[in-house]
Amino acid sequence: MADEKPHMSGHVDPGDTSKRVGAEVVRERGCDPEELREKLIDAIGAEFTTYYYYTNLRTHLAGEEDYKEITEDARLEDRAHFELVMPRVYELGGSLPNDIRDFADRASCADAYLPEDPTPENILEVLLEAERCAIRTWSEVCDMTRGADPRTYDMAQRILNEEIDHEAWFIELLSRERDDECNPAGHFVRGEPGDAPYSTNNRFNDSA
Amino acid sequence: MDDDTTERWSVTIEVPDDADMDEAGEAFELSVREDESILAAARAAGLWLPADCQQGWCITCASHLVEGEVDMSAARRYYDTDRAAGYVLPCVAKPRSDVRLVVDQYDAMLRVRADNDQPPGRSKLE
Repeated sequence: MADEKPHMSGHVDPGDTSKRVGAEVVRERGCDPEELREKLIDAIGAEFTTYYYYTNLRTHLAGEEDYKEITEDARLEDRAHFELVMPRVYELGGSLPNDIRDFADRASCADAYLPEDPTPENILEVLLEAERCAIRTWSEVCDMTRGADPRTYDMAQRILNEEIDHEAWFIELLSRERDDECNPAGHFVRGEPGDAPYSTNNRFNDSA
Repeated sequence: MDDDTTERWSVTIEVPDDADMDEAGEAFELSVREDESILAAARAAGLWLPADCQQGWCITCASHLVEGEVDMSAARRYYDTDRAAGYVLPCVAKPRSDVRLVVDQYDAMLRVRADNDQPPGRSKLE
């Protein structure tokens, strides 16, 4: 009877610790778990480097306290995204690069360098484009996992929600700073800095 | 920007037989404005080419340029060795002549990067 229930084992022999049913069920549903985990490493590499670069960008928004606060929210939430997905890499049989230089090299979004002329306008533009890249990346992860890997999909769509918030914040701020235009985000308040209401409101782990 | 004075070029996109795309084995001809990326034009025309960052950085959209010239100046990470090997990134590539390219070349371009000790190839391949 058990042989007629493939999901009972997920093509993993009883007691076999060399494979994970949690990965094999993803494969059975048409998503390559090895390809996915590599994509996730690239994606959280971008979250991690963004966390670093935003530290510098925020610092150089000196005297612009409202911009600094919002950049701080985005910075801490990007770190939360790294923390949220990191365990999933290991669940899928992957690992973090041993050398942080490799991790940064393979980040799926460009380095968010401090602009040569670090005016608030130029810094806000860097922040905006970094968020847009993150939106594209997590949308790709949603596409890869939809209908095949609900656990990763759930993480990716939570992160995507926050990245879209971030884009809206920086559009609002850049519109006012550069163009003197009112272009409201419609939402921006966090309960505490880096609250991450989507990605940590049901924590997968407490390190985030 | 789309006015009568904007130059347009013919861009032929070949999808390899072994591509993981519904359009594998097919070729498409698009009219692309000189101020428009080839990826944006393809997607607007209903051809969903692979891409991720759309900053000319991650090389997910890597393609082999068979004929023609493209402007890659908007790429955040593009090397002379990429150009010499014939690889371009349609997410930022704007046509400067009629162009023919083969899409879905991520693995091949990643190898070029690795062979030249450049990211992300050097960090993802042996």
